[in-house]
Amino acid sequence: MSFVIETKDLTRVYQTYQKPEGILNSLKGFFHRKYNYKIALDKATLKIGSGQIIGLVGANGAGKTTLLKILSGLVTPSSGTASVLGFKPSERKNEFLRQISILLGQKNQLWWDISPMDSFALLARIYDLNPDAARKRVHDLAEMLKCSHVLQTQLRRLSLGERMKMEIIGALLHEPKILFLDEPTIGLDIVAQETIREFLAQYVKEKSPTIILTSHYMDDIAKLADTLLLISKGHIVYQGTLKEFVAKANTEMAENEEVNFEEVIRRFLETESRLC
Amino acid sequence: MKKSFVVFWKRNLAFAKLAIVSNLEYRLNYFVDAVLQPTLTTGIEFLLWFAVFRGAQATEIAGFTREYYLSYALWAAFFARICTSWMYETRMIAEIDTGTINGLLTRPMSFYEYYFSQLMGYKFITTVVSITIPLMAIFLFKLPTKLERLPLAFALEFYYLILVHSISFIIASSAFYLNKVYSFTNAKNLVLWLLTGELLPLDLIPEPYRHIVISMPFSAGVFTPVGYLTGRLEITAIWESFISVTIGIVAVNCIGVLIWKQGLKAYAGTGA
Repeated sequence: MSFVIETKDLTRVYQTYQKPEGILNSLKGFFHRKYNYKIALDKATLKIGSGQIIGLVGANGAGKTTLLKILSGLVTPSSGTASVLGFKPSERKNEFLRQISILLGQKNQLWWDISPMDSFALLARIYDLNPDAARKRVHDLAEMLKCSHVLQTQLRRLSLGERMKMEIIGALLHEPKILFLDEPTIGLDIVAQETIREFLAQYVKEKSPTIILTSHYMDDIAKLADTLLLISKGHIVYQGTLKEFVAKANTEMAENEEVNFEEVIRRFLETESRLC
Repeated sequence: MKKSFVVFWKRNLAFAKLAIVSNLEYRLNYFVDAVLQPTLTTGIEFLLWFAVFRGAQATEIAGFTREYYLSYALWAAFFARICTSWMYETRMIAEIDTGTINGLLTRPMSFYEYYFSQLMGYKFITTVVSITIPLMAIFLFKLPTKLERLPLAFALEFYYLILVHSISFIIASSAFYLNKVYSFTNAKNLVLWLLTGELLPLDLIPEPYRHIVISMPFSAGVFTPVGYLTGRLEITAIWESFISVTIGIVAVNCIGVLIWKQGLKAYAGTGA
């Protein structure tokens, strides 16, 4: 299998300012600041093959988003190496950026003041796509996501679910080879979550991109991912298939006890939060 | 090489159009920005120079008549609006401060070009409307202006915008380390208020400061184009300004690239 993503000892340390409560401490902090160093990612080594759908799971603050941000070139690692499609992500070469896409569920990436259609026309220019072909692709994707009726409405006027669908179209317009999805269904109702899941499943079947998906909804992971990447306090603690993971967990259970994927993950996250 | 230039050009034209489309979305804001605000500025500058001449009970100051100063005030207000970039600078800072820059960093384009082309688009769409105000005023009050000099004055002004944007780029890039740097914009604009010649014609400043201030690239923002347009300066001053602005652009961008590169290394991808 050819690997499209490879990392070795990838580490990222964040420096954070610590300020105790109160005005007096604000004044003290004005002259003398205390910093903490938090290791968000600690010597993470992994290999991901072409066309794999990876479910990246971990507790809050485990390092999932940091890993995605490093792999997409947003954040520079403190040490270690990363290679995505043969590129060093932190160099952010245009050739590399043309082949990837990152969707951050909690951030708008389209333009707030204009309609999605205007945004997509602009994206077509940025990615140097044929305008007519891009327009057709937008309509096809919008039809699959059942949101054609809002394409010409100013983005700020759309509901959260509609906005997320627009963000997904924007992220897929240039047919990226690698797609980073950071909580794409966060805050959405069950119907919208289901629509997006079905859409992504269909898209994966047709285009076979490599996807790294993070989500706190285990349904997203269970229905879309073929490989599980479990991360804990910046360490990769498991990389393998979902089936193997559940089977392994079940062998460690007491006799007569059998759990499904969601339950195994729930127990894992519970243990994590107790250790924090 | 040829293809990549065409792609670059089309992309940046699209950014400029984005600024035009976004600004025209909010009609009242656009009207206030392109018409009301320049009218108010012109009125204030007019009143100021009327008061100066009445108070001094003189017909001339430093060899120039009241009409001459009114013309300077009129065009200074107009050019100063073009060469001031607080709106896009504030947006650039906010992008880095809030982390919305993530959506730009992961696309095949640069932050610098994205905002520069938008700045140009915005300046174009407001200038084509707001120029009617000084034009009406010079005809109404019969103020001295050499209109045939307008194209070259504009060329210098829009060239100077590259320097203006490069300074904004430096200030915005420092938000990678400091987050809130909005006050830098205000402080910089106050300094430029004097150094561009918006506050008063720079040749009224006593020597040796006068020579220093005029030699700086910032005089290309207001003093040189307005002085040339109103007959206070000749074409040599324009060429000298082009040279000083070019030096300024090179120097400022060298610093800008350094701060940007280091800033990206420190960037934590704020939020989400």
